[in-house]
Amino acid sequence: MTEYAVRAEGLSKRFWLHGERHTSLKQRVVRGKLPKGREFWALRDASFDIERGTTFGLIGQNGSGKSTTLKVLAGIYRPTSGKVVVAGRVSALLELGAGFHGDLTGRQNIRLNGAILGLSGRQVSAAMDKIEDFAGIGEFIDLPVKIYSSGMFVRLGFAIAVSLDPDILMVDEVIAVGDVEFQRKCFDHLFDLRKRGTTIVLVTHSLSLIRDMCDRAMWLDHGRIRQLGPAAEVGDAYLADVNEREMHAIHVAEGQLPAPSASTRLGSGEVRITSLEFLDADSRATPVLLAGAPCTIRMHYIAHEPIRHIIFGIRFMHESGAIVAEPNSGRLGTWSVEAGEGYVDLVIDELPLQPATYQVSTTIVDRGHIFDSADREFDLHVRGHGYQEPGLTRMPGVWREPVAGTGAATVPGAIQEDVRAKQ
Amino acid sequence: MNATARPRASIWAYRSLIWNFAQRDLKSRFKGTALGWAWSLVAPLAMLLTYSLVFGVFFHSSAPAFGTGRPGFFPVWLLAGLVPWNFFLIAVTTSMPTLLGNGAMLQKVYFPSFAPILGAVMAILVQTLIEFSLLAIVLAGFGNVGWTWLLFPLWLAPFVVFVTSIALTLSILNIHLRDLAHLTNVALQLLFFLTPIIYQLSVIPTSWHGLPMQALVRLNPMAGYVGALRQLAYDLQVPGPAIWLELVAWAAGAAVLAFFVYRWRGLDIGEAI
Repeated sequence: MTEYAVRAEGLSKRFWLHGERHTSLKQRVVRGKLPKGREFWALRDASFDIERGTTFGLIGQNGSGKSTTLKVLAGIYRPTSGKVVVAGRVSALLELGAGFHGDLTGRQNIRLNGAILGLSGRQVSAAMDKIEDFAGIGEFIDLPVKIYSSGMFVRLGFAIAVSLDPDILMVDEVIAVGDVEFQRKCFDHLFDLRKRGTTIVLVTHSLSLIRDMCDRAMWLDHGRIRQLGPAAEVGDAYLADVNEREMHAIHVAEGQLPAPSASTRLGSGEVRITSLEFLDADSRATPVLLAGAPCTIRMHYIAHEPIRHIIFGIRFMHESGAIVAEPNSGRLGTWSVEAGEGYVDLVIDELPLQPATYQVSTTIVDRGHIFDSADREFDLHVRGHGYQEPGLTRMPGVWREPVAGTGAATVPGAIQEDVRAKQ
Repeated sequence: MNATARPRASIWAYRSLIWNFAQRDLKSRFKGTALGWAWSLVAPLAMLLTYSLVFGVFFHSSAPAFGTGRPGFFPVWLLAGLVPWNFFLIAVTTSMPTLLGNGAMLQKVYFPSFAPILGAVMAILVQTLIEFSLLAIVLAGFGNVGWTWLLFPLWLAPFVVFVTSIALTLSILNIHLRDLAHLTNVALQLLFFLTPIIYQLSVIPTSWHGLPMQALVRLNPMAGYVGALRQLAYDLQVPGPAIWLELVAWAAGAAVLAFFVYRWRGLDIGEAI
């Protein structure tokens, strides 16, 4: 029998939007009954279950009801209608350090937070060392938190939330703070919690996080469930929708502005990139490219006059900020283009990128002169299938079976000596 | 029909949290002050001195005789009335902004809204117990000690319930009607002078323009609690069963009011702030 950590049935949450929220006695007397304001359904008739020990992702645009859902699950909001049953102790990480009191020391705040989560003093004491260790803020733990740096705040908050052994952990995109090392530590810990059977509910905008971490996902759109199912499917559907809308927005924008506005672009502007198109193996436009598969990247341009000697360039930047590749057409010499619209294709046999979202920049240059430079204006989503290797790129190569021996026969003697000498 | 994702919210289940809030209040109250805890005694002592000077010296107010039969001493008699009043006053005024002060927390993590208020009242209670000890020492210094002191816990229990319930009710309503904090300040001032603390009940005319003034003043719950404590501690007498019943009834009434106000407006504080 399946055990559920969360069961939600027909969950709805309504808010009243008031112009002036804080009502004074004078207003009540003068205006009689208060105007109710405009109603706003942040969540409408949502039914979903989360199995014990699984990781559940919530995606959707801003204002789609993700955070409201999380707050209802965490008990901060009561649903307007519908029913939710949560089995187990919930620890919600909606904002790091929200439960801190500035005058108290880190240690005292740990006690307060533990009490909020419903732990006894003894249970908190038992977790104290682990929290101190995880936060890694040293002797600051005994100083008032108001003197902490924001990084230390985050560390302590996360350490508390994950160390107090919740049955269900709810995380609202807070892990995107702190330094890289700490972020990695957080993710490692989340994976670890997941392995140990903690149910995790995650609100995120990172689709790679949805794919990597979540078992199932729910896509919310204007407070309603748009799709509910396996994380990868929901993530792809959401991505496709976002891309479509973006594409639509670009088309609309193009209709109004024939050329991209020069204000956001660098370069002299005689010729400009108008859009990027990603084509799959069958030359069909697609919002998502498949790692390792053939594809074409089509750069559409518009030239306001005939131009000679130009080079097209494109740069792929990984989410981590690393520039993965920066191919350009300069190897082939320079090209000339006629006035009007056209496109350039970069045909790739095997896309060497790993699944992630890449920020793509394009340039059109001529030996030092910049015609157009669109800095990180486009997004490329790469999806994987089957076995995925870690790393930023796919290293082309073929593995051979192990062979006995030193393999020295193929290395010229002199070089071998040289290598030994260096060692 | 709706069911929330909240755990069962009994006061007992959240005792650890309430005590944590109380500790937080106690720790942060005198943090960074040179005198520290001593300040909790300075304010009531200053109040005692002022009223003793104005009413005892300028107005020649007299105190009733001690329970032992010795002639009374106004400042001691006054102290026996001021300590319970101060508990009520400070508990109500400090707990009213508590929910707003914890707003950021209430919006980010769930805990019942009564927890910080009960914690705040508990912190005040700790201070009040120190003041009661001071009162006991002073009374003992005058040789005014009696077995009736043993009944003090029986008096304190309904009083704490009463004060906590009033504090909780006002704090929750204050979230929805911010005028209440100001209104309460005015009401508390009025109530102080309508309670026989700096004067004896007997100085009030029984009838004033046809109004049974004395009976009306006596009706006020604080008059009941303050009067009963003075009987126990100063007069060394046991209040009659009618008075005990009165004290318990006020406590029960206030608790029921607090319960319904909490059910009505206290559950959605996280959104209302």
